[in-house]
Amino acid sequence: MNKLFLALLLLAAVPGFAQESPYFVTYDHHLEEPGNLEIETYTTSGIPRAGQNAFVAPYMELEYGVTGRWTSELYLEGQGTVGDSAVFTGWRLENRFRPMKREHFINPVLYVEYEDINEASKILKEIEDGGPDVSSRNSELQPVKDHELEVKLILSSTVHDWNIAGNFITAKNFSRDEGYEFGYAFGIARPLATLASGNACRFCRENFIAGIEIYGGLGSTVDGFGPHDTAHYVAPVVSWQMSDNGSLRFSPGIALTGQGSPVLLRFGYSYEIRGFGSRLARLFGGKP
Amino acid sequence: MIWRWFLAATLAGATVAVAAQNTSYEQDRGWQAPAEAAARTNPLARKPEAAAGGEKLFKRNCVECHGEDGSGLVKKRAADLQLPLVQQQSDGVLFWKITNGNTDRGMPSFSRLPELQRWQLVLYLRTLKPAGK
Repeated sequence: MNKLFLALLLLAAVPGFAQESPYFVTYDHHLEEPGNLEIETYTTSGIPRAGQNAFVAPYMELEYGVTGRWTSELYLEGQGTVGDSAVFTGWRLENRFRPMKREHFINPVLYVEYEDINEASKILKEIEDGGPDVSSRNSELQPVKDHELEVKLILSSTVHDWNIAGNFITAKNFSRDEGYEFGYAFGIARPLATLASGNACRFCRENFIAGIEIYGGLGSTVDGFGPHDTAHYVAPVVSWQMSDNGSLRFSPGIALTGQGSPVLLRFGYSYEIRGFGSRLARLFGGKP
Repeated sequence: MIWRWFLAATLAGATVAVAAQNTSYEQDRGWQAPAEAAARTNPLARKPEAAAGGEKLFKRNCVECHGEDGSGLVKKRAADLQLPLVQQQSDGVLFWKITNGNTDRGMPSFSRLPELQRWQLVLYLRTLKPAGK
């Protein structure tokens, strides 16, 4: 155990470079490099309407590049609601597969996620309907479990250094008969400078990527397909490559409908460890 | 006595350094750039000063597998970028390979880097020379 702890400490000093996408909800076609581990922490904060409660929902993501065309991620999430309590809201296991070997004008990625969460979940990593229940108490929401399978088709393109991405979401909750739920996310982003300077600058434009994303629900097979009675947000996004292996992200999301919280504030920090897989293999005597 | 230890350490270091270089690298014959991509020229070819930015990008993105001097790590099966069989490839081919990667062989795609930065990497690759040359 001590050996593992020591190894993790050593790994933390290994630099990597994550030119991170600034999106919080939208996925593009770039996967984690094989053998690299990215540790990410995020918070989604909801500013309430009258009768709602403000909340802060932190989540941690461990993203590992299994191969060049397969990335796997584990999420652990929780939330704290003002005037209520702080609770663990579950975990998610996500896999993204890139079927095509080369870059194309449109690059598809297949996303499959299993969620073992409860109704108190408020991280809003995607929206399929009206968003989370922000009026009920956690003691009522936490016992209600959701075992959900979510599938996304990610289509992403790079045009003159602009990334344009669209995600089409279908989710099925196996805990209750809610039918199939649908959602979407679209994003567009670009680095503020495309030429790298020769010096090691931190605040220069090449280290920033800015863009905008829009995401929301598209109803379900039970309530009817379409954008009515669902939450929709438009959100500027910005990421800053603050060090060779760490980046910060920020996004204020504004609700376009009366559903859900009127404003969502999202913060994220990610740290990449290069060659994690081979270092771990060596530690346990395996082939790197 | 001390000089013997020094000599032994130097020899051992040199042996490790040579073993780390992937001079036996062989190209994947299936990893071929289309003719149109191979014919592209580097828009930064007349800006050699941009290679400094390329060096920075190389250190951030490439040394993990290709090593500080680009000679390629055997354990990563990475190309020795100093070899003539790499250096003889056109700028367009190198750009295409950086952009697309060869994911089944462990070379990731770097399409997430802006296009000019990928050309900066090509510019820097041209400066990689075997030690002593």
